[in-house]
Amino acid sequence: MNEEKAVEEQSKPLVLEKLEAAHADALLAQDEVRGTAVVVVRKERAYAVLEYLKTDPELAYTYLVDVTAVDNSRMESELMQFDYARFMVVYQLYSYQGQCRVRVKVPVHENDLSIPSATGLWRAANWLERETYDMFGIHFEGHPDLRRILMPDDFEGYPLRKDYPLRGRGERERFNFDKQNV
Amino acid sequence: MGLDFGPDTGTDGNIITTTIDKVVNWGRKNSLWPMPFGTACCAIEMMATLASKYDLSRFGSEAIRFSPRQSDLLIVSGRISIKMMPVLKRIYDQMPDPKWVISMGACASCGGVFDTYTLIQGVDQFIPVDVYIPGCPPRPEDLIDAVLQVQQKIDSGALPKGVSPY
Ligand code: SF4
Repeated sequence: MNEEKAVEEQSKPLVLEKLEAAHADALLAQDEVRGTAVVVVRKERAYAVLEYLKTDPELAYTYLVDVTAVDNSRMESELMQFDYARFMVVYQLYSYQGQCRVRVKVPVHENDLSIPSATGLWRAANWLERETYDMFGIHFEGHPDLRRILMPDDFEGYPLRKDYPLRGRGERERFNFDKQNV
Repeated sequence: MGLDFGPDTGTDGNIITTTIDKVVNWGRKNSLWPMPFGTACCAIEMMATLASKYDLSRFGSEAIRFSPRQSDLLIVSGRISIKMMPVLKRIYDQMPDPKWVISMGACASCGGVFDTYTLIQGVDQFIPVDVYIPGCPPRPEDLIDAVLQVQQKIDSGALPKGVSPY
């Protein structure tokens, strides 16, 4: 039994160990899902953690795979866990050096939708954060060009939020072709 | 050749009697220049239709033009989002009359399975469609059939759906 435990401890991903040592106060939760380390990070410390993950020579998560968000407003269990933060901004990182992934999740409250932009760390964050802004209305502070990227510029609302009706609010029937500048 | 020969005039076929409309329509019908508007998977089938195996040029429609000002058959093949619709409308408006429109596949015709906030539920709400093709995606034979139907329409002297009244 003890031996098994020792093996388990040993196989704990390096990134979790290092984060625990360097940024213990920033971590709200940690987990390992099918070989991918998952950490939930306090918003105020999110940028510092991301920077650490990218610049630490042992970790070197130089590849930002994806930025997206999750609207947990209908997931009571998730909401309770993180102080009723409605949104969870998710960063997927990959390290070519360690050939491993890490998922960084940041709870964001509805009454304060701003979160520091990661564009200073990865230029790839530019469009990904624009998409997250477009779909969820998350505000990335310090983003050089935070505009909608998929929906038309004059679109109102954030369609991937759970309270947005699936069939929209009539956008697909109403058109003003004169107004639209194409 | 698709032209009606007049009654036997006893001239050994050296003279064809017809009307100017017939001749013009005969020319139009056999040289439709399609403007492909491929936005999704249906466009792949459209490409197959144009390529050597199905070879749309057998029916005189191989002169694909990517400029709407040089084409008279708009093939809408694929999903049209609310952001794309003004573009499609603009392209349709830029095509010179007379012009015909084929709505290819379930998505272009009625939104298909994508009953969502961002997808136009049928382009015929905004531009006139002459021939609809069902299917997801329709096979190349279906597109060929649609082109032939457009040809029949032209041959019969029917006006395109979107003909301007002037
Ligand atoms: S009808 Fe089917 S094949 Fe055609 S664009 Fe829609 S989903 Fe794709």
